[in-house]
Amino acid sequence: MIELKHISKWVTIGGKPNFILKDVNATVNEGEFLSIMGPSGSGKSTLLNVIGMLDEFNEGEYRFFHEEVHKMKEKQRSNLYKQYIGFVFQAYHLIDELTVYENIETPLIYQDVKSSERKAMVADILDRFNIVGKKDLFPTQLSGGQQQLVGIARALIARPKLILADEPTGNLNSKQGEEIMNLFKQLNDEGVTIIQVTHSEKNAAYGKRIIHLLDGRIEREE
Amino acid sequence: MLKNYLKIAWRNLLKNKTFSLINIIGLASGLACFILIALYVADELSYDRYHEKANRIYRINSDIVFGGNKLNLAVTSDPMGETLKKDYPQVEAYTRLYNSDGYRMVKKGSQYIREDNVAHADSTLFDVFTIPLIAGEARTALNEPKTVIVSESTAKKYYGTTDVVGKLLETDEHKSTIYKITGVFKDIPHNSHFKLDLVFTMQNLDYQMGNFLSHNFQTYIVLQPGVNYKNFEKNFTQVIDKYVLPQAKQFMNINSMDEFKKAGNRLEYNLIPLTDIHLHSDRRGEMGVNGNIQYVYIFSAVAVFVLLLACINFMNLSTARSSNRAKEVGIRKVLGTERKSLVNQFLTESTLTVFIATVFAIAIVWVTMSWFNDLSGKQLLFFSLFQPQYILFLAALPLVVGLLAGGYPAFFLSSFKPIAVLKGKINAGFKRSALRNVLVVFQFATSIILIVGTIIVYRQLNFIQTKKLGFNKEQVLIVNGTGGLWNKSEAFKEDVSKLAGVSGATFAGYLPVSNSSRNDNTYSTSPVMDSKNGFNMQTWIADYDYFKVMGMEMVKGRAFSKDFGTDTSALIINESLAKILGFKDPVGQKLYTYFQDQSGNKLVTYNIIGVVKDFHFESLRQGIGPLCFRLGKPDWVTAFKVNTSNINDLVKNVEAKWKTYAPSMPFSYQFLDDAFDNMYRVEQRTGKLGLTLAIIAIVIACLGLFGLATYMAEQRIKEIGVRKVLGASVTNLVSMLSKDFLRLVIISTVLAVPLSWWAMNKWLQDFAYRINIGWWVFAAAGVLALLIAVLTVSSQAIKAALTNPVKSLRTE
Ligand SMILES: Nc1ncnc2c1ncn2[C@@H]1O[C@H](COP(=O)(O)OP(=O)(O)OP(=O)(O)O)[C@@H](O)[C@H]1O
Ligand SMILES: [Mg+2]
Repeated sequence: MIELKHISKWVTIGGKPNFILKDVNATVNEGEFLSIMGPSGSGKSTLLNVIGMLDEFNEGEYRFFHEEVHKMKEKQRSNLYKQYIGFVFQAYHLIDELTVYENIETPLIYQDVKSSERKAMVADILDRFNIVGKKDLFPTQLSGGQQQLVGIARALIARPKLILADEPTGNLNSKQGEEIMNLFKQLNDEGVTIIQVTHSEKNAAYGKRIIHLLDGRIEREE
Repeated sequence: MLKNYLKIAWRNLLKNKTFSLINIIGLASGLACFILIALYVADELSYDRYHEKANRIYRINSDIVFGGNKLNLAVTSDPMGETLKKDYPQVEAYTRLYNSDGYRMVKKGSQYIREDNVAHADSTLFDVFTIPLIAGEARTALNEPKTVIVSESTAKKYYGTTDVVGKLLETDEHKSTIYKITGVFKDIPHNSHFKLDLVFTMQNLDYQMGNFLSHNFQTYIVLQPGVNYKNFEKNFTQVIDKYVLPQAKQFMNINSMDEFKKAGNRLEYNLIPLTDIHLHSDRRGEMGVNGNIQYVYIFSAVAVFVLLLACINFMNLSTARSSNRAKEVGIRKVLGTERKSLVNQFLTESTLTVFIATVFAIAIVWVTMSWFNDLSGKQLLFFSLFQPQYILFLAALPLVVGLLAGGYPAFFLSSFKPIAVLKGKINAGFKRSALRNVLVVFQFATSIILIVGTIIVYRQLNFIQTKKLGFNKEQVLIVNGTGGLWNKSEAFKEDVSKLAGVSGATFAGYLPVSNSSRNDNTYSTSPVMDSKNGFNMQTWIADYDYFKVMGMEMVKGRAFSKDFGTDTSALIINESLAKILGFKDPVGQKLYTYFQDQSGNKLVTYNIIGVVKDFHFESLRQGIGPLCFRLGKPDWVTAFKVNTSNINDLVKNVEAKWKTYAPSMPFSYQFLDDAFDNMYRVEQRTGKLGLTLAIIAIVIACLGLFGLATYMAEQRIKEIGVRKVLGASVTNLVSMLSKDFLRLVIISTVLAVPLSWWAMNKWLQDFAYRINIGWWVFAAAGVLALLIAVLTVSSQAIKAALTNPVKSLRTE
């Protein structure tokens, strides 16, 4: 499903290229559960953004379902986000102006899901994440962990086939973290492809495969 | 401290270039409009104030209703001034002007030059008005017969010097009269309701003096200090009883004022302060074309509104950007800065912005001055801005406007609580500000009202231009001054009518456009005139071919014809008169009038031979009144029906003919349709000025909207990124970003419709003939505003929607 060939990304600082990703090769098949690890600043988020087509790369080839990503049109991409991919961000990126309920509902609106159906789906996920009581609050009124939960709920609501999660449990306590990981595992068993970035060995172990990054290169795979 | 404020203010201006630019452009154009219109209004209000006794001088107006015909005159009878001075000690002085001749031909070398600004005046002219003489003696200048005083520039024009006292001046080729120049006066300022270049003595005026029933003299009186003119007006009843009635009895069989009034008639005199004449008086017999206080009000209001729109941009952009400033405020407060000094800081910023805008505005005024003068018909000077009172005005402007525009943002911003700011709570709340919405609605409603107003003014003008007038104004060439050819005028007419491209010719002293001659006469339906059967109407003299050349239609009877020897006592009336008279068949009926000559009053009987289809002989502001034609040769103007595509050549040929008849006289011509358009110059100016102001208003409003949209898109950049990642399409995002603004524009339209309907309906009431305001005008204005707003906002929205989300989502 995902094919990365010789992907490099750099920024020029003082006239010299400064590599953020260097010659990254990777293949991810449907149904995989991949963990990306590495020290801070090693390029994990950047790689995930490239995979999620949020960020551009300077060199190499990236095919998504055999289609060259850099040739895709805005519309195609927006359709992929709508129907296929769910993002969980390291910095949550909730919409400040919307309540918890509305934040989670947004992807469904863009998919033209009927209002009654939306209600049921959001209620269901609020219940599953134990945040029913917070549904009318605004993001600024939540703690970091609660915001992270809402972010995950929003990514999962539309039942994506591919989940891209950047440190999804970074702000959660160990019990909550474990619950999320179990949820991911369950989704993976149902056939959902998952790529997660994590600092925790324990969480990484949920994945079937781990890529270690160091200074923008793939150091090793296990 | 101030230096510090200024430094920070300057840095802030530079930091937000887009917003500073939007503010400065908006404010500069608003201020430029404001300054130009302030100059215009100041000029309009300054009329006639230069006379030392300006606030004690009054003109006597006459209001007459006689036989259903209403006359509001700027003139009064010749003995009136003298009588008042004699009978009432409150009257310090009086003087009269007489300019019924219209113009004089003055000889220079072998050529005659037409002088339009001429009048006869009493020698008391200088007791009333302040007209400084630079040569001659004011007390005696106009005492002698055949004397004249001339303006400085006229003296230079004819003699090349102002040292002309004692020199002779010759007027009019045929009844040549020689006048002795007894004085030279400083040119009359442009802001005067009369323009005079040559003032002849009243002594040798060819007029039967002493008649209280003929109204032909502009008469001005000076009241003693402290006399209330409204109270003084009450004395006119006495004057009427004592002087006017005896004459009325003698000439018209009117026995008492009561009887006269019972028949629905009216005779009243009143006073108008000299300084009110220019803006408040529009009567028959004015000394020139006056202004109109209504337009002064309209333009002042619009100027204030346009400036307000620019201030609103400043307020909206400042408060919208408050979240960016909030952090600064929070930190400053934590550091112990007092609120007062924060307010000062923000006010310094707004004042600095307005100050820079004022400098630009002055530059704009400088560049656009001549264009504005064209538009407004004024001769304003850019350098008049540097008079002390204007310098003060220009210096005060940035302070006042800075306070106006910056006051609210300053107090709003400085009120933030540090903790709320640092927690980031201000942010969410301020994106939806009710006040800002109200202000945007105000801006757009104003713009829409201006658009509607402009459309309606233009439609009314178009209506006037295309209305069926009852005569054909196209392809009629008017040659003025043919009376100067004397007995050769007929030959000239015949000669020109033989030219190729000329299909008809007539003497046409009376034309259905204003500024043409008018003649009011009294008639009755029975030989014995009394106040019941007497009535007044326009009496025009027409030639045989007049109706053909003017394209006027006879609905009954016939036009004057050479085949009938009796046509000297024939009368052609218009439909309006036929209706008033109520005759079943007017043709063959008789009307009577009195003719006054040396031997006294003579009864004259006229036979009605035809009825001409009603035609508009005054501007469309007025209805069609009763009118009749008598046969004659009003040869001071000759009209030619032309029928050629090569007008220029034809005019050249006519001029060549003119030169063979009158080599020393200037050739002056005009087309009837141009003369017609001249009647609506004020409306045309209003239309153009309104259009310009509407465009400026909408540009300013759009600048504000553009600023807000840019800012909103910037503020919501993260949200936009998130939504894109959640699958929002560009269309989704653009409509999300534009929706709020467009809703405001729609609300503005809804508010603007009744307001503009009311205002324009009022304006249209001035016209007896007017358009209906169609609903589509409002629809068009609303759609136009909406379209412009969509273009303004969506450009920013699309830009925001197309940015790569990762730019905004990159983790800090
Ligand atoms: N637009 C950019 N310009 C310059 N440098 C960048 C840019 N984007 C990322 N970097 C640099 O690339 C490196 C990798 O960043 P990235 O966010 O991918 O790290 P990470 O592995 O996710 O770190 P963390 O574990 O802290 O989240 C960092 O050194 C970062 O400074
Ligand atoms: Mg990261």
